[in-house]
Amino acid sequence: MSYAYLFKYIIIGDTGVGKSCLLLQFTDKRFQPVHDLTIGVEFGARMITIDGKQIKLQIWDTAGQEAFRSITRSYYRGAAGALLVYDITRRETFNHLTTWLEDARQHSNSNMVIMLIGNKSDLDSRREVRREEGEAFAREHGLVFMETSAKTAANVEEAFINTAKEIYEKIQEGVFDINNEANGIKIGPQHSPTSPGGLAGNGGQGGAQGGGCC
Amino acid sequence: MPHAGTMSILRKRLHDFDDVLNGEEIDITSLKRLCFHGVPDEGGLRPLCWKLLLNYLPSTRASWSETLSRKRELYKTFIDDLIVMPGEADVDGERVDVTLQDHPLNLNPDSKWQTFFKDNEVLLQIDKDVRRLCPDISFFQQGTDYPCKAIVNVSGSKRLHRRVQHTVLRSANVERKGLGITKIAVSVRKAVEDYAPLAEGGEAHWEVLERILFLYAKLNPGQGYVQGMNEIVGPIYHAFACDPDHQWREHAEADTFFCFTNLMAEIRDFFIKSLDEAEFGINSMMSKLTRQVKVNDHEVWLRLHQQELCPQYYSFRWLTLLLSQEFPLPDVMRIWDSLFADENRFSFLIHICCAMILLLRDQLLAGDFATNVKLLQNFPSMDIQIVLSKAAALAGKTLNSS
Repeated sequence: MSYAYLFKYIIIGDTGVGKSCLLLQFTDKRFQPVHDLTIGVEFGARMITIDGKQIKLQIWDTAGQEAFRSITRSYYRGAAGALLVYDITRRETFNHLTTWLEDARQHSNSNMVIMLIGNKSDLDSRREVRREEGEAFAREHGLVFMETSAKTAANVEEAFINTAKEIYEKIQEGVFDINNEANGIKIGPQHSPTSPGGLAGNGGQGGAQGGGCC
Repeated sequence: MPHAGTMSILRKRLHDFDDVLNGEEIDITSLKRLCFHGVPDEGGLRPLCWKLLLNYLPSTRASWSETLSRKRELYKTFIDDLIVMPGEADVDGERVDVTLQDHPLNLNPDSKWQTFFKDNEVLLQIDKDVRRLCPDISFFQQGTDYPCKAIVNVSGSKRLHRRVQHTVLRSANVERKGLGITKIAVSVRKAVEDYAPLAEGGEAHWEVLERILFLYAKLNPGQGYVQGMNEIVGPIYHAFACDPDHQWREHAEADTFFCFTNLMAEIRDFFIKSLDEAEFGINSMMSKLTRQVKVNDHEVWLRLHQQELCPQYYSFRWLTLLLSQEFPLPDVMRIWDSLFADENRFSFLIHICCAMILLLRDQLLAGDFATNVKLLQNFPSMDIQIVLSKAAALAGKTLNSS
């Protein structure tokens, strides 16, 4: 299927916070209560529409355990967006956010859009991290924030789509060099260079290389 | 004597196994040759062969009982020495003086309490992982007929999952409000319903696995526990705990521990990230796989290469877990028969992985990047015999169908 852009995402965060379940809910619209452990990476893809344009999301879901970090890191480089996930019912997963964020910032391109996700919002009776704490952390570090439930699907669409919107806006502003695939963005094969959305912002600010699309 | 031709293939194979296994001195080379073609599910053959192939049982039958009792006794001491609650009564019944010797706030790295808290971090991880092992079969949630007596009859104080439940409560529900004022919430967290621990006196199979992995992590501090080890220990334990002979079944836990330890000694490099680049590390295994695909089917290799579909995207898990997440459990057992029988440890693994890719040839040549990654990450269900025959052909061998 043709698309205007392809965005690459990465999902990161402690093990057991529900990364694979979020991906499954977004790509397959189903919930699997006991999910296999993720070893290495898992992959998912879905098409969404933003501003009337077809955008293909390629999502890499990573293993949470420290032992696998060296593998996870290699995925940061080619990502335009990251979902940083913690579990609202486990305080320690929230406490580890700083480490995850440092890791992500250090190994990714500086324009990567990071969305902070407090998952398992359906388990409010077992909540250990208040919503305001998540908001405060996001504000302090310049992230977008949302609480989601992979189980009830609450906010799952929004989380992935809002991240894409942010990336899309950055493209419009010319922040991303879309000709550099290392930024996690690819222009679709059917996308003509004259089409207004695509390269209009490119010649503008930031000294991004103008000119031809592939 | 019935003529060989009149015997069914299975009877013939059982007969062959009996021949090899019943000798006073078992010829391991012959055993390997037999097991490579698959161990029959009948008569507790698999658990016995695996114990031999994983170098747990010696080849001399006469020394089995001595080896087994020594190992099983040793395992008991591991439990006694390594699963301890600080501040509890000593063996001789004396109460430990908490205030003078050791206490939870002791910062001395040798402090039992320090160790206890560090252990619990590892345990928390293991606990989560064993509870989500093989969710498609109910085996691991069921109670074992042979719970560990030293654990289940001491009012729960040595049950590992309770330790992490406690830790979570302690750290999580204490909220700091301004200067020195703390609020302690009293809500009690519920365990995941399906994997609820059994009542006093009983324990589920996943609790047994939790203990095996915890002890392994304690005894191998350089490596510790890495996710995925649960997927390695699972099939071994399943095979041993389903042995038709209760004398074997009874000791499934200890026997699994040592077989798992021996297996890990051979594949541990996959689990140590600093060795990722080493000769037998995971990256070198993945390169070998890529080379083998290239040699055997240049077109498929070129396709994946052009799509920049790196082997890390799918084969990292295949290799690290010895394919245990790619196939249903009975097929995994059949694959492992061949792997454990492999003379050049796990070179056959590469052949199987290569066969898996080549069997998807038409789909891979037609699919785009996303379709192909998904296909390889979710290997379609397929007769395992087809995969193994193809792998054997790649290895220059012929596989007898079972």
